[in-house]
Amino acid sequence: MSEETGAGERFAIGISFGNSSSSIAFTGPDGKAEVIANEEGDRQIPTILSYVESEEFHGTQAKAQLIRNSKNTVAYFRDYLGKDFKSIDPTPAHQSAHPQQSDSTVAFTIQDTDAETPSTVTVSEITTRHLRRLKQSATDFLGKTVNAAVITVPTNFSDAQREALVAAAKNADIEVLQLIHEPVAALLAYDARPDAVVEDKLVVVADFGGIRSDVAVVASRGGMYSVLATVHDYELGGANLDQVVIDHFAKEFIKKHKVDPREDARGLAKLKLEGEATKKALSIGTNATLSIESLVNGIDYGSTINRTRYELLSGKIFSQFTGLIESAVKKADLDVLDIDEVILAGGTSHTPKIARLLESIFPEKTKVLAPSTTPSAINPSELSARGAAYQASLIQEFDTEDIEQSIHPMVTVTPHLSKTIGVQLVSADESGEFVPLVNAETALPARRVAQYTVPKEGGDVLIRITEGEREIKVTKPEPKPKAEKTEEDEEDSDFDSDEDEEEEIREVIWKSTKPIAEAAVKGVKAGGKVEVTININSDLGLQITAREVGGKGGVRLAVEAPAASANGSA
Amino acid sequence: PALPAGWSAEKDFKVLSSLSSAVQRNIEPVGPHFLAHARRQRHNRTFSEDERI
Repeated sequence: MSEETGAGERFAIGISFGNSSSSIAFTGPDGKAEVIANEEGDRQIPTILSYVESEEFHGTQAKAQLIRNSKNTVAYFRDYLGKDFKSIDPTPAHQSAHPQQSDSTVAFTIQDTDAETPSTVTVSEITTRHLRRLKQSATDFLGKTVNAAVITVPTNFSDAQREALVAAAKNADIEVLQLIHEPVAALLAYDARPDAVVEDKLVVVADFGGIRSDVAVVASRGGMYSVLATVHDYELGGANLDQVVIDHFAKEFIKKHKVDPREDARGLAKLKLEGEATKKALSIGTNATLSIESLVNGIDYGSTINRTRYELLSGKIFSQFTGLIESAVKKADLDVLDIDEVILAGGTSHTPKIARLLESIFPEKTKVLAPSTTPSAINPSELSARGAAYQASLIQEFDTEDIEQSIHPMVTVTPHLSKTIGVQLVSADESGEFVPLVNAETALPARRVAQYTVPKEGGDVLIRITEGEREIKVTKPEPKPKAEKTEEDEEDSDFDSDEDEEEEIREVIWKSTKPIAEAAVKGVKAGGKVEVTININSDLGLQITAREVGGKGGVRLAVEAPAASANGSA
Repeated sequence: PALPAGWSAEKDFKVLSSLSSAVQRNIEPVGPHFLAHARRQRHNRTFSEDERI
């Protein structure tokens, strides 16, 4: 930990800063990231600040103030940071202090001091206060002053927003070592686990938050990540599901008492708070209750809802979540068959039904990492904070200059393979099966090694290195039930057989498109294996080594870089 | 897979063509593998040079 540099020692944590909630995490000496609970015991700390008689409330305590003291409570401000007033959507802040224009930035008018007139506080200042509280909670927990952090941001956060966040953090005496992208942080949280194996895979990271949802398709190649496509939905999140619960109970209440609690501001605020808690309970149990004292007109209200009912009512919204994921896969020019992993992040990802719907959309080999589908899944709410904490532990001892140089576009903009490179073991009679070795979207330079079993009898083997493309083969089952069906068939059975018929079998087929080089390995022992090593340089030149495992020598060859794009202009 | 009869090449290999052009993309600057990559880039080292250090 100790550095010889005279400058003050850094002590860094990971912060996930969300519109609805924030988390702080720390990586211990054992290399395991832990999410830190604040003094109230919350690990998901609501991103809310509230002022009552000049006293500042934060997190859950501030959230409770949304009922009585909504005017002096600031919530959902993350996305306002670094933005022009005209470009923001003030809808999420309807139930709290309203955002307003203040010069070129967004501000809130709140009574945060003893002064008679309320003060105008900019969103940067609010962010600073929020980060200061997070920092304090981490410092209290760890017993050491936190002075640096890695903070997660959405992939489409603009430069102005990034700068504003770094500046706000600086005012809270936090040195931002790096801003990292939320989906990548989630991926890193999984890959940082000691038992994780680095492999090439295509991952969809779905971050379902409170008031927005973001999906990213990421190519993970040799532990390096490249984002292939992102989609964002600013009107989809857990709040939509809260609304389902709120509407359900409100209708029940109207039936009984003939008043709509949603029309009363305080009644609505109470329903929102309790409705969210009920929704969360439905992610854990199959039944949940809601009880509110004096909901409206002094009437107490209590009722229950079961999960089946809730899932039925939320069906449409669930399909919006899954639709968002499908659109991201499409945007990356991929098919669901190409996806190896789906990581569900964000609080809404606790919903069991969403994970189950995704399992039915993706093929069986695709892992859906959510608590309800994978027992070893990490808590979706903690993913980005953990990823940030891990990254913080990796870079906290670097010089600031080192970090800046490393994350500079000179380093991060890199040529990626456009086609998959694979190996065909060719025999005299058949063309040979294509086995991918270096996947498309691999950042260069790259190196891969693989072993291939040769035919039992051994002998001379021809290895062909070739570019390949995956195709999706669709097999339609024979339409035999059609003929048998008569018009008198009952509707039910008719429907069922229709479904079966349309179930096509789709599978991935690899096709070799462009042979690059051939090499012969002679006199391989019976039952032996051949090892192929490929080295690809940034200029697309490559070196290939093929040798028998345990054997001597082998064949070495070099393929020169293509002349046309030698400077990586493509 | 056996060597087809009549296949021959100097030193047992032949080059048929070169790779298709690459796509420029941004790698996400996170994780230990990226940091290793950044180190190699900045010092202009290759994989094997990096391993020796």
